[in-house]
Amino acid sequence: MELAYKLSNSAAGKAVEKESAGTANEKKTLMNAEPGQTYIIKELNTDDDEMNSFLFRLGCYQGEPITLISKKKNSCIVVIKDGRYNLDKMLSEAIII
Amino acid sequence: MRIAFAGNPNSGKTTMYNALTGRNEKIGNWGGVTVGSKEYQLKKEFSGGQEVIAVDLPGAYSMSPFTPEEGITSEYVRTANPDAIVNIVDATNLSRSLFFTTQLLELGIPVVVALNKTDINEKEGTKIDAAKLSAKLNCPVYETVSTENKGLSEMIAKAISLAGTVQKAPYMQADINLHDKNAVDAEDRKRYSFVNGIVADVETRKTLSTETTSSDKADAVLTNPIAGILIFAVVMWGVFWVSQAWLGPLVADWLVGWIETFQGWVAGQLENSPAILSALLADGIVGGVGAVVGFLPLVMVMYFLIALLEDCGYMARVSAVMDPIFKRVGLSGKSVIPVVIGTGCGIPAIMACRTIRDERERRATSMLTTFIPCGAKIPVIALFAGAFFNGAGWVSTLSYFFGLVLIFLGALLIKGITGYKYRKSFFIMELPKWKAPSLKFAFKSMMERAKAYIIKAATIILICNTVVQIMQTFDWHFQVVEEGAENTSILASIATPFAILLIPLGFGVWQLAAAAITGFIAKENVVGTLAVVYALTSFIDVDELEMTGGANTVAMTMGLTSVTALAYLFFNLYTPPCFAAIGAMNSEMKSRGWLWGAIGLQLGTGYTVAFLINQFGTLFTEGHFAAGFVPGLIAEICMVAALVLIARKVRAHFDEKYELHKGAGTANATV
Repeated sequence: MELAYKLSNSAAGKAVEKESAGTANEKKTLMNAEPGQTYIIKELNTDDDEMNSFLFRLGCYQGEPITLISKKKNSCIVVIKDGRYNLDKMLSEAIII
Repeated sequence: MRIAFAGNPNSGKTTMYNALTGRNEKIGNWGGVTVGSKEYQLKKEFSGGQEVIAVDLPGAYSMSPFTPEEGITSEYVRTANPDAIVNIVDATNLSRSLFFTTQLLELGIPVVVALNKTDINEKEGTKIDAAKLSAKLNCPVYETVSTENKGLSEMIAKAISLAGTVQKAPYMQADINLHDKNAVDAEDRKRYSFVNGIVADVETRKTLSTETTSSDKADAVLTNPIAGILIFAVVMWGVFWVSQAWLGPLVADWLVGWIETFQGWVAGQLENSPAILSALLADGIVGGVGAVVGFLPLVMVMYFLIALLEDCGYMARVSAVMDPIFKRVGLSGKSVIPVVIGTGCGIPAIMACRTIRDERERRATSMLTTFIPCGAKIPVIALFAGAFFNGAGWVSTLSYFFGLVLIFLGALLIKGITGYKYRKSFFIMELPKWKAPSLKFAFKSMMERAKAYIIKAATIILICNTVVQIMQTFDWHFQVVEEGAENTSILASIATPFAILLIPLGFGVWQLAAAAITGFIAKENVVGTLAVVYALTSFIDVDELEMTGGANTVAMTMGLTSVTALAYLFFNLYTPPCFAAIGAMNSEMKSRGWLWGAIGLQLGTGYTVAFLINQFGTLFTEGHFAAGFVPGLIAEICMVAALVLIARKVRAHFDEKYELHKGAGTANATV
């Protein structure tokens, strides 16, 4: 049940992505942000409650600032509170700013 | 009385614990070095004569565990009722650390906050008003620098004096239903705003942490997918070269001279004793153990360099740069840390896998990490490099990088067998601040490892060598084996059946089989047993060996060509590690199936690698396949068949699970 649910969920997620790309109304994530800028986190989109609460405990949650230090094709480095973290692409795309 | 040490990862708990207890537990500049709890008595100068046990716990960001090792901490402070808690707070990241602090303060156990790493804050111009913080938190706050023992005695004395009192919390979580996600979220938010309020009041920063610094520029290069990986390769090559081709052998040459002198002295003392006793003591025990100890300098230099690497903050960057590659084969960037630790010893490497959150990735990593040659395998590598390849440095470098290749291939195989489907795998790694590695800590860590190595040589290796020597000296009727009839010894008759299996690999003689078998007890035994069965000692001193007659004596005695020697070396490197490491694997994997899978995979890998090297090596050098090609091929086919069967079974189970889930959803329709 859980697996089936997850599968359908991710399929739905993909469909949404395509739509939003088409309308150019794409949600802004860390992956398309400017290095050196500080942003306010709008939402966490990881589909993973444990991950969300882990990020929360680092100080990464809705309404909090996050600073992009540098960005590469598959990862980026950010500042959350006073710590620097390396995030992979998937996580960077799940943080909506 | 017991005092627990809790705090965020990489806040310096173990460094403080080591300073207070005089222990030498592993430290490193990244989050997740400590993966289990450790306890030891405080030094007298700190405990004031009382019996005080310090308990070092893995780092945690909060009371709700995310990875297995975080769970150990929350479980301990909740259920073990320590008399006091020392909360180590990374003063450079106060805003994050206090979240966990406020949770600890709610437990009712007296808390003392150690504001650690205050030296870095001084350098960066960050000021924290400790008195104000103490008033706000309703608990004592001490500024400390554990690397320099600063502030520790006052802090720990306060913790001891508070034991037994009840802590009043400055912030209490409201009475909510902990299963209601929204309510918990709202509470956590309130807690963070409480923390943010405190930080705004007590902390003033000269440099904002969001400013780009020179260390950020370095990080940008080190985490660059091309430059970063090249730099990592060069760094590791440097470590291997210095320890195994340059500085290590230099010291080893000198040490071996002393061991030989000692052996000669023992033989001299035993001149009038029976020949058997002399053979047993001088050749067997001193010779065999000496052969292992002779390689100690190589191992020590290696440990020293790895300790420097672990201390400076580079490991987190390596983990970040390797993540995309490791992810492609179904592992995580965090798998790099066990691999690097594994160059020292496989057991802590397997335990380090606990920081990996996903169960499959965690088990796969602990299964594969021992393909990287550990410190105990260095003597084996050095022996073969010296005896068959003129001490060439490329042998050790090749051994490590080939181990890495095997990890990748093994990971792909596991991915295939377990029917791994695309899954969201997030990677987040804190990049700690760079620091100049401490020579003192590296030296201490090296000495600790050296001590363990010598103890091992004097116990396990010594016993094994003695047993091997006795088994070789006597036959089944307990008669001394006569010269020329060595094949009748107990050792020979036990090892011969195994040797037959090894014929396709090019080393099907009982002596080599016996050495490989004792290697499962401890890898150094391979060298010790070879020394005993061939009565050889000076493995390292290649110059001397060359002087004894053009061709290399060791190589001649063993009757191996360079092809079969390489096959034998790789067989020993990539078969299952020692029993201790297998035990560690068992306790980390918590699954019989995975454990047997791991042992099978390692046996199969060692066999296959040696088979391919021997057969194709012989084909290239001599123009024909080596002996036993067909039986070996049959063995390989059987292994592949076993793999396919296991994969089908696992996948059928996987599909079944999937079917069941689907079936549950559509039960009404089908019934």
